[in-house]
Amino acid sequence: MSERARLPTIGPLLWYRDPRAAIAWLETAFGFETRLIVDDGAGGVIHSELTLGDGYIMVVGPPDGRSVSPAAFGGRSTQSVHVQLDDGLDARCERARSAGAAIEREPETQPYGDRVFTCRDLEDHPWSFGQTVQALSVEEMEAATGHKIEA
Amino acid sequence: MSASKSAITPVVFYRDPIAALHWLEAAFGFETEVLLTDAEGKLAHAEMTFRDCNIGIGGEWEGPQLGGARMRSPASLDGAGTQFMRLNLAEGLDAHCERARAAGAVITEEPQDQFYGARTYRARDPEGHVWTFSQDVRVVSGEEMAAVSGLTIETSLRKED
Repeated sequence: MSERARLPTIGPLLWYRDPRAAIAWLETAFGFETRLIVDDGAGGVIHSELTLGDGYIMVVGPPDGRSVSPAAFGGRSTQSVHVQLDDGLDARCERARSAGAAIEREPETQPYGDRVFTCRDLEDHPWSFGQTVQALSVEEMEAATGHKIEA
Repeated sequence: MSASKSAITPVVFYRDPIAALHWLEAAFGFETEVLLTDAEGKLAHAEMTFRDCNIGIGGEWEGPQLGGARMRSPASLDGAGTQFMRLNLAEGLDAHCERARAAGAVITEEPQDQFYGARTYRARDPEGHVWTFSQDVRVVSGEEMAAVSGLTIETSLRKED
């Protein structure tokens, strides 16, 4: 397991009612690659590692204790996942849409210089995808967004 | 917004996100990289960094741009969470746990060695988000893991002896 060290420091762990279906869907819709699945032999996934670019997530389930899928929770979520792409944002959106993602915000270039779309996956986890199309200074972002920025 | 370190950034929602920024700095050693506040001083967007990664911090919100999704703190959901967080430390796991405890983290699992070769501890922050910290302490083969745990392990990783 020495390759574990190549993963970035932080990985989000997402709870799904049907983790196997989620893993297959995330590969098709978003282009994740699954490199590890730990199966409990009873239909549950207690650990997995899915990579996209140099980032990774863990898909586990079914939920127990205080964990819950948004699909069983009225769409309420305590975290979302942001994926920053180098290119191909609009094509990624169409790929996700074709796989059944609910596109909430269509691809649009934001005042802060990133092109962004957002969607929900097959169990309603919220995702955002971004791609920088114009690198702006902090001052330019403040002027464009109307927010005070400390950076 | 800022140059992304890792391609994937988790975003965590709090009832009081400004307080969360300060707590995460003190307890876990994160650094606030970007903080956007509106005219009323409320947090609009924040990014923290830890090693090679970013973490987004947001307040609770919902709106037409989220469709039916509603971003909530576990503090508003009787402690429930739809995602947890895992952080892999290069060293110093036990000291990190003590720092978090001193800052008020609830340690739900004390540092202990796991069958898969990592030492881990688990903590809940003041609003109930679950954070697992891990440090690799020894290399365990897939065969050994499966034998010890009784679990089925499917992997595309090649074992390096």
